[in-house]
Amino acid sequence: MPLIRKNSPEPSRPPPGSDLDALTSLTRGSNDQRWMAARTLSDVEALGRALSTESDGRVREAIFNSLISVGGPGSVAAILPYLRADDAGLRTGALDALKAMPAEAAPRLAELLADTDPDVRLLACEVVRELPSAQATPLLCGLLEDEAEVNVCGAAIEALAEIAGPEALPALAHCAARFAHEPFLMFAITTATSRLGFAPTDKRV
Amino acid sequence: MTEDEFARLCDFLYRRTGMLFGEAKRYYVQRRLDERMAATGAATFAGYFARLHGGVGGEIEQFINAFTVNETYFYREEHQLQCLTRDLLAERLAGRPRGAAIRIWSVPCSTGEEPYSIAIWLLENWPPVDAHDVEIVGSDIDTEVLEAAKTGVFGRRALMRLTSDLIARYFDMVDDDHWRVLEDLRESVRFSPVNLVSSAQTRPYGRFDVIFCRNVLIYFDDASRRAAAENLYETLAPGGFICLGHSESMSRISPLFDVRRYADAIVYQRPVEDDRG
Repeated sequence: MPLIRKNSPEPSRPPPGSDLDALTSLTRGSNDQRWMAARTLSDVEALGRALSTESDGRVREAIFNSLISVGGPGSVAAILPYLRADDAGLRTGALDALKAMPAEAAPRLAELLADTDPDVRLLACEVVRELPSAQATPLLCGLLEDEAEVNVCGAAIEALAEIAGPEALPALAHCAARFAHEPFLMFAITTATSRLGFAPTDKRV
Repeated sequence: MTEDEFARLCDFLYRRTGMLFGEAKRYYVQRRLDERMAATGAATFAGYFARLHGGVGGEIEQFINAFTVNETYFYREEHQLQCLTRDLLAERLAGRPRGAAIRIWSVPCSTGEEPYSIAIWLLENWPPVDAHDVEIVGSDIDTEVLEAAKTGVFGRRALMRLTSDLIARYFDMVDDDHWRVLEDLRESVRFSPVNLVSSAQTRPYGRFDVIFCRNVLIYFDDASRRAAAENLYETLAPGGFICLGHSESMSRISPLFDVRRYADAIVYQRPVEDDRG
């Protein structure tokens, strides 16, 4: 039998990391050293700071994964600023990280949905979508009451269509009344209303 | 089991294994809880949960074992084995000295059907097998199935995809319905426990050329999937390959891997030079 017998010595392991302190490695090491440091560290402030200068996608992913793994309000606080990042990769990374920890992000969602930046409100809708329906529906319906941006409303409606029940219908109807002149939004509302089990007799919802 | 008890139990299971059970799986959870309470003689949830939390009598391990899904069979998803011998191994060995070692990891390996399948497949379908040291490791979070894997006894159902010729060559008949993997082949596969979500547990395995990780990530929630993907990345040699189940896609889980399309299968690869920005 040519296969290795299981009592054979194990092949060599990957080379050990350098002696650099993990915190130092996180910002000053090679790509591999920064990656390993990101996987090792649980200092959420340091991890969050490192995101602001890190350009390697693999290291960023490791930083986000460590923040998710540590969890808690500190990790959420470390991730949140990057929802505003100009770098789309970093912004998406922050969004995906928050979506992976929705329960921990939940206490911050009301403020995010009320943020002055519509892009942040839109991304917050995506995080809300990950919450249980009973938590998510009131948040999204509340947003629809007075949200002025069509795209943000669209994101909220799309999320409601996926997770909500008939309790979301009044908010959808109210939104339809405010945006009757927006065909895109009217189409989204009609689709959502239909999915929530309501067959509208009025085609305008 | 009350709502609160169900939530506490699911939370415990999630934190230990990465497996997430919601309300839709309540019946499944309740049945396994009932089994373990009966097995340990616990009269109340509180009594059982205290035992579980304290790890009394190895209960944590027993409890996790009750939740894992272990049914599989030899030569499952044979197209990936075809891909292994037609394409992946040749790529891994390109430019390496003759006789270079190849490391293959089957995780989770359940009762051993997959790692033994890999061993048999290589012996049957990969002519250079004699020229290389091939190390096959099978790992699982469930320690009971690992013991069964080491024993190497399988029923008719597990062998349904093997020809009678293959069964005659690689198995001893135990009785009318059971066959045991030949000792030499059993000795060729190393079995060991691992929790894929824990880097402290995956890191000591070193680096593999090919990992078979089929139909486990679907049981994880988003956070655990990401952690497992990163641990798998770390345990792959640069340029190494990972094969997932046919309904799974690494692209939806992690940006770390490249998609590679071969004639027989789509697999994922750790880039040789990873410097992606």
